[in-house]
Amino acid sequence: MNEIQLHNISKTYNPGLFKKKVEAVRDLSFDVRQGEVFGLIGPNGAGKSTTIRMLLGLIRPGGGTIHFRGQPLSATEMQRHTGYLPENPYLYDHLNLRELLHFCGRTSGLDSKFIVERGQMLMTKLNLTAVQKRPLRTFSKGMLQRAGICFALLHDPSVVILDEPMSGLDPIGRKMVFDLVMELKSEGKTIFFCSHILNDVERLCDRIGLIHQGRLLRLFERQDFIQHEGVKVFLQLESLSSDQQQGVQRLGGKIRPDGSGWLLAVPEQNYHGINNYLEQQQLVVSGCRSEWASLEELFMQIIEEAA
Amino acid sequence: MKAVLSLALITFKEGIRNRSLFGIALVALFLFGLNISVAGFFMRDIGKVTVDMNLSALTIAGLLLVFFVGINLMAKDIDRKTIHLVLSKPLSRAQYIWGKYLGIQFFVTVSLLLLAGCSSLTVLLLKSMYPAYFGGFSWLIFFVAVAFVLVKFWVLGAVVIFFSSLTTSSLITLIFSLGAYLAGVTIEEVVFYLKTEMAAQEQLISESLKNFIEAITWILPNFAAFDFSLEAAHGLALDSGRLLGVLSYGVLYSVILLLLASLIFSRREFN
Repeated sequence: MNEIQLHNISKTYNPGLFKKKVEAVRDLSFDVRQGEVFGLIGPNGAGKSTTIRMLLGLIRPGGGTIHFRGQPLSATEMQRHTGYLPENPYLYDHLNLRELLHFCGRTSGLDSKFIVERGQMLMTKLNLTAVQKRPLRTFSKGMLQRAGICFALLHDPSVVILDEPMSGLDPIGRKMVFDLVMELKSEGKTIFFCSHILNDVERLCDRIGLIHQGRLLRLFERQDFIQHEGVKVFLQLESLSSDQQQGVQRLGGKIRPDGSGWLLAVPEQNYHGINNYLEQQQLVVSGCRSEWASLEELFMQIIEEAA
Repeated sequence: MKAVLSLALITFKEGIRNRSLFGIALVALFLFGLNISVAGFFMRDIGKVTVDMNLSALTIAGLLLVFFVGINLMAKDIDRKTIHLVLSKPLSRAQYIWGKYLGIQFFVTVSLLLLAGCSSLTVLLLKSMYPAYFGGFSWLIFFVAVAFVLVKFWVLGAVVIFFSSLTTSSLITLIFSLGAYLAGVTIEEVVFYLKTEMAAQEQLISESLKNFIEAITWILPNFAAFDFSLEAAHGLALDSGRLLGVLSYGVLYSVILLLLASLIFSRREFN
């Protein structure tokens, strides 16, 4: 079942008189399935945040339709089931985290007891318990980001929308958020997030959409970049002559340049043949990889092709 | 309703914890102190001057509260995109407008009531120092005048919310709201002048200008209507019909502005 469906949505901004209109999103279509982690990646200005704002009803699409659980988008109804973390959460300077979470809980229709219990649980998980009574203006960027995550998750939403959740976090904070996202995933929550940190997207997402200049260039599954035509074993070779390249390919191996050397995909059924050939040719295996191409390599390749 | 009250409560807390409040309180206390120290120079008019100065000090403090703190309580949400977070919760745009308005009014009312307490002490002190010059003074009329200072700021709060719902920057909201306040305070005098014989003899005032001014008197808030300082200073009896009329005008004007603001805000996009 699809939680969110975007069908041919577009958005053009009008920056003002005598200025050229900016087409932020063009004919964008994709869906986010129940219980999956969907990542939307793309360069700066690709239209990721615009897409999220249209989803949240903060801006209206110029064309196309958005459905939430099969129904046309109705902002207040959707907001009961979603939690949202913006890229740079600006919170109220003179409030403390407890007051902020209390406000969040009351607007979501929760009772005080649940708000306190759930708030404490989230603050403990995100290591904010000690600072819960401090004014938010004294929080560091990473603490604000984590406070924003508490705000997004307090009402236990079934769909979580995160815009750059790792932005501004130190390695410990990133690990906390990473673990939290994995936990949400294991609880069956649907997670939709945008990030520039491709390593995180690669590790967390089940499906990834690549958006560039407002258009969806590619939608791929996790297997698409981890595996190559079903192959799961990849060896890094220092050098290969053209004869050796042909020899490996004759035995069923697939090769591609990788830095200064080559990457060889070894199908399971051809493993022994290829292994014998490498020994016979005295080829040096400098390492192995768990994926045919990293998301970063795919990202660069697709963006360059589009350009 | 819970959502509106929750938003009003955090808006109130944001306002009341703002450090500018200390500065505004100091200005008001300075004016009350000034009143005590210079009252003796006014001979027979001590009572009138005291009431006038106290009501003016409250008005100045109220203006500072609304323009320096109140405006930011909503405009900063839009400036800093905090509104994205707030509107991601099940809270309609109209609820946001009403919640912010109630929060700002709660903050302005509490602050002004505290200052009104200080003001009453000032009047009490001067009354005990110069009892002979407070013959016509009535506490009831004084408190009614203070209450209408508050009503004036309820209307001004609605003006601020209205302009905040239209604009993207707190500075523009400040300029528009200040303009509306200055025009609203003076428009009654302009209309009064236009109706005098002196104005009729003036060749430069065209009919179209007169019609224009007549039209904008219906649009601009008439802040002079809430001014009961003359009655309070001279201890003049208040007409209950007029009080009710002015109160109804203030409430109706604020409600219309807030409904308009809700309508505009619900159609607005937040990039």
